[in-house]
Amino acid sequence: MSALLAVQDLKVSFDTEDGVVHAVEGISYEVKPGKTLGIVGESGSGKTVGTLTIMGLTRAANTQISGKAIFDGEDLLSATEQQMRAIRGDEIAMIFQDPLSSLHPFFTIGSQLVEAIQVHNKVSKAAARTRSAELLTMVGLSDARDRLNRYPHEFSGGMRQRVMIAMALANEPRLLIADEPTTALDVTVQAQILELIADLQAQTGTAMIIITHDLGVVAEVADEIAVMYAGRIVEQASATELFANPQHPYTQGLLASIPRLDRDRTAGLDPIAGRPPSLIAPPSGCAFHPRCPRAFDRCSADLPPLERAAAGSEHLVACLLSPEERSVKR
Amino acid sequence: MIRYILRRLLWVVFLLFAVSFITFVIFYLLPSADPAALRAGRQPNPALVASIRHQLGLDQPWYVQYGRYMKNLIFHFDFGFSYQNGVPVRQLIFSRLPASISLAAGAAFLWLVVGIGVGIIAAVRPRTKLDRASMGLALVGISAPVYWLGLVALYLFSSDIGLIPILPGANSYVPLSDDPVAWFTSLIMPWCVLAVSFAAFYSRLLRGNLTEVLSEDYIRTARAKGLSERRVVFRHGLRSAITPIVTIFGLDLGILLGGAILTETVFNIPGIGRLSYSSIVRSDLPVIQGTVLLGAFFIVFANLFVDIFYAFLDPRVRYE
Amino acid sequence: MFKGFGSTTNRPKAGKEGLTMKPIRICSAALLALILSVAVTACGSSSSSDTGTKVGAVPTTQSLTGKTGGALKVLASSDVDYIDPGAAYYQFTFMVSYATQRPLYSFGPDDAVNAVPDLATQAPAVSSDGKTVTVHIKPNVKFSPPVNRAATSADVKYAIERGFLPTVANGYAGAYFGDIIGVKAFQDGKASEISGIDTPNSTTIVFNLSRGSGGVVAGALALPLSAPVPKEYAAKFDAKNPSTYGVNQVATGPYMIQADASGALTGYEPGKKIDLVRNPNWNRATDYRKAYLNTINIEEGNDDTTVASRQILKGNAQINGDFGPPPPVLKQIVNQTPDQLALTPSGGLRYVSMNTTLAPFNNLNVRKAVLAVFDRDAMRATRGGPLLGPIANHFIPPEIGGFNEAGGLNGTGVDFLNYPKGNLALAKEYMKKGGFPSGMYTGSQELLMVGTSGGAAQKSAELAAAQFEKLGFKPKLRLVTQDSMYTKFCNVPKAKVVICPNVGWLKDFADPQTILDPTFNGKNIVDVNNSNWPQLNNAAVNSAMDSAELVVGSGARNKAWAAIDRQITALAPAVPWIWDDSPNIRSTDVAGVINKFNGNWDLSFTSLK
Repeated sequence: MSALLAVQDLKVSFDTEDGVVHAVEGISYEVKPGKTLGIVGESGSGKTVGTLTIMGLTRAANTQISGKAIFDGEDLLSATEQQMRAIRGDEIAMIFQDPLSSLHPFFTIGSQLVEAIQVHNKVSKAAARTRSAELLTMVGLSDARDRLNRYPHEFSGGMRQRVMIAMALANEPRLLIADEPTTALDVTVQAQILELIADLQAQTGTAMIIITHDLGVVAEVADEIAVMYAGRIVEQASATELFANPQHPYTQGLLASIPRLDRDRTAGLDPIAGRPPSLIAPPSGCAFHPRCPRAFDRCSADLPPLERAAAGSEHLVACLLSPEERSVKR
Repeated sequence: MIRYILRRLLWVVFLLFAVSFITFVIFYLLPSADPAALRAGRQPNPALVASIRHQLGLDQPWYVQYGRYMKNLIFHFDFGFSYQNGVPVRQLIFSRLPASISLAAGAAFLWLVVGIGVGIIAAVRPRTKLDRASMGLALVGISAPVYWLGLVALYLFSSDIGLIPILPGANSYVPLSDDPVAWFTSLIMPWCVLAVSFAAFYSRLLRGNLTEVLSEDYIRTARAKGLSERRVVFRHGLRSAITPIVTIFGLDLGILLGGAILTETVFNIPGIGRLSYSSIVRSDLPVIQGTVLLGAFFIVFANLFVDIFYAFLDPRVRYE
Repeated sequence: MFKGFGSTTNRPKAGKEGLTMKPIRICSAALLALILSVAVTACGSSSSSDTGTKVGAVPTTQSLTGKTGGALKVLASSDVDYIDPGAAYYQFTFMVSYATQRPLYSFGPDDAVNAVPDLATQAPAVSSDGKTVTVHIKPNVKFSPPVNRAATSADVKYAIERGFLPTVANGYAGAYFGDIIGVKAFQDGKASEISGIDTPNSTTIVFNLSRGSGGVVAGALALPLSAPVPKEYAAKFDAKNPSTYGVNQVATGPYMIQADASGALTGYEPGKKIDLVRNPNWNRATDYRKAYLNTINIEEGNDDTTVASRQILKGNAQINGDFGPPPPVLKQIVNQTPDQLALTPSGGLRYVSMNTTLAPFNNLNVRKAVLAVFDRDAMRATRGGPLLGPIANHFIPPEIGGFNEAGGLNGTGVDFLNYPKGNLALAKEYMKKGGFPSGMYTGSQELLMVGTSGGAAQKSAELAAAQFEKLGFKPKLRLVTQDSMYTKFCNVPKAKVVICPNVGWLKDFADPQTILDPTFNGKNIVDVNNSNWPQLNNAAVNSAMDSAELVVGSGARNKAWAAIDRQITALAPAVPWIWDDSPNIRSTDVAGVINKFNGNWDLSFTSLK
């Protein structure tokens, strides 16, 4: 099956007053139709910038972008702004982290939904409203007609995110990008929303990129997972493979920091020490080496390439440790 | 909402009381001229002075005078008579209100259009030459004294004493009802001069607001929907960025309706501002009271109107 | 009292800066004779010419012929003091009143001293004891609509009576007509009329006085208060408080303020405009006025006098009303278009008064020291320098009776006024005589000094303070508005102001009594609106004035009052520093005629070219 979206060697940097921020340093991945790619990383790892760039939302005078993002045979990075507008919200839609700040506070839910529909479809306002109500019902909101006239601040956080999802799905996109869709929500609501997303994806056959700092989230929905650190993908594998056999010390660290039912509760969590690196002056060699418990001399000198973890394997990892060393559980 | 408005109206009444009271007290505490002495002429015999004092009610304790003033005001809408020329203050104020309204309304229109236009252009093209040039000019506009600007305008463009005689100059104001064309042309210069600093201030304010709003998450959402940049800026961005401007605009307009003293003076427009200025110079308390109350009235009502309007602009704000 | 830049009701007629009429004469006769050095600087800056006549000076006789018709636009900065001619006491208001009202007497443009019969048929007959003044009036001078009837002697009587009503409160009625028998009873409400004014028939009016002050009463009949007022029409307005007759007035002069059929003024909006139109009932045959113009539009509120002056010079308006061109504009006119300037002596002066009832100025020698030390040339410079008039050396101004007899421009000869730039050594001599052996004031108390804030007046006040400091005084200068300075401070003896730097006085008419009596007579010290600012209460001066008030005949009167001027000057109650000239400007398309009495343009003689 050919890829719906193929990102090739994407690089994004911004000129700021403090220096050049290298947000994305050459990432490549594919999303297949109907499948879900999870991109995992701490804040500042470049996971959000990368997807916004694909959407054409980071274009500015001070931004340098290179590489390709082939969507349905077209390179999105070289598309005109007008072409991108036609794709945004129609072919590719996004769900954002904070549904309160992501909805316009001065407009009703209905008018924001209607706008999303009408911008890509020549339909009457009445038809768009009917469709909006259907969408709200679809995402599990009762009294949909009535709710169309309400403002975002009149909804709970979970309901708002349902609205965002409805808005994203309004034009039946082929690719849905969900950027931390549950982070701002209560834990109980998080699960409901993830379930909703998974259900709707199953119904509509939409492909999805889900961006999160939380491996627990992708564990439930992703088919494939890419782990990002300091603007690069450091490990990429199918979800089952990644959880079963994490290769990169950073991935291993992330997994160790997830509370799990199958682990001894008394053992406690094991967060990764240190802070995310500066993107203006990243560490030499492997960017993770200052925080890596298993770093050795070469790590601060050589940049590890993203390679197959083993010959013939689909599991990719960027680490200078030998495969044997990597597999050793601590 | 209705209850809120009623409560606010009560507050307005209280404020107007307070303002009139303070004006009265200030007049009696600060050294202003003695109205009875002004009327009495030279070497008056004490009986005449006492008689005038009595006629003007100045022989009563100030609180009795105040009470009588308020009684006449409330029950008869009577602001009293000018000590200076015996003309009813109400008549003085109403004969001058049209000029002040003409000046304020025209200038407000101008500064809104220019200020908002420039602010948007600067905000959507941040850090460009256009942005820097317009914001630099705006800074100059904010700092330029109105009276000085008025004189410069007169010496440059007025048809009588200007270098490029193209516009009617000082003392050319004609009421709208007399001659609409002359009214318009005579106000072009005053409008521009009065609007400059406001336009400059509003453009800088709007640029700041809009720049901030355009980095909001919901603007990213709007873009992600595939909306055109024009629609993003005008419908989504401006709608939020303009709200604080509405507040300030209401107050500015309220203040100006109460008289734009400097502009009215330099162009000799017979408005409330000139009236209040001359009444202060002449210690004409009834006229001072009238103009101060009028100014306060405009300001508190502008405030009320802004607050109510705000609720319509921002659905998150609801007054209970 | 002087009109500075704001308004005041007492005697606010002066206040316009001006050039002297005959500078050569001043330089040679006055200043050169006194102190050569000062005269050279003072005259060096003035523009003398071959003819010996100063640029802009009004000629002795003006051409009074003109073209009939047209509209005149007058620019004014402030409003009239009172639109009611019976309350008016302001030069600019008089300018309007003399065009709309016909008092018994008035002043033709060229004679500031001798009034001519106006409503009256001939000069007033003053009895030899000075206790009776009889005037006959013209029978055929009609009021404007809606009254429409001929004015009678009873209308003149009512006009003067209403001046004493508290609702009208004329500013000078008490000073000049207070001697009429029955005034007190009328003022106290015990009589409905003033018994001392007789009207034996409709064209005769007789003033019976309690003492022989008929000479002054006769002179005061040229003020607008004597213009007739129809009682049957005006009484209802005069009953209001304040009287509303002003905005319902009827006219007898060639012009009237535009009014509706009921007589209510439509041509007056306070602070905005005064529109004069022809009085349909005016009979040219009864009047000496020419009344060339069809309409006169006075536009008020031109606060920026630089802009307003330029508008007049460029021809957008024809003449100035209540303001003079500011010094920079004045200099430009003198240099570029002197034809557009008209200078005339104002008949007023400015001085710095010292409170003679309070220490340290209750000491005559200390006061003399102050006069000696004062740099009066610098004081004059604060108003614009020699262009604006000669330095005053005594109190009666030029063009007023008694001026020459008191010493003219030379002064009365006292040494402490010999030095226009001040003489510190002489001043110290007087301080020593006054009990300060070092020649400097050694007291520590601060002296309350109240001046007018803003403009030239503030500069004068600040400079005056510096003069006092030269001798070690510690003036505490407080600056307030002009009205406030007068009515709350300097006019109120209880306020105990020690120094009033911004006072001045303007004649009411050319009689010297109108200058000296209100300002230095001890009996005129009153609690409210006192104008004897030094509170000079000198028995010799007081009794000399009592006698001089009763002198009849201008020659004798001038001599008597000149002697009093010398007496006062010797007592050094105040520092006289300028005898002001009035500068007026016009556009090139107007044939302006100055009324020398009023120091302003004469609306009844000015015409369009």
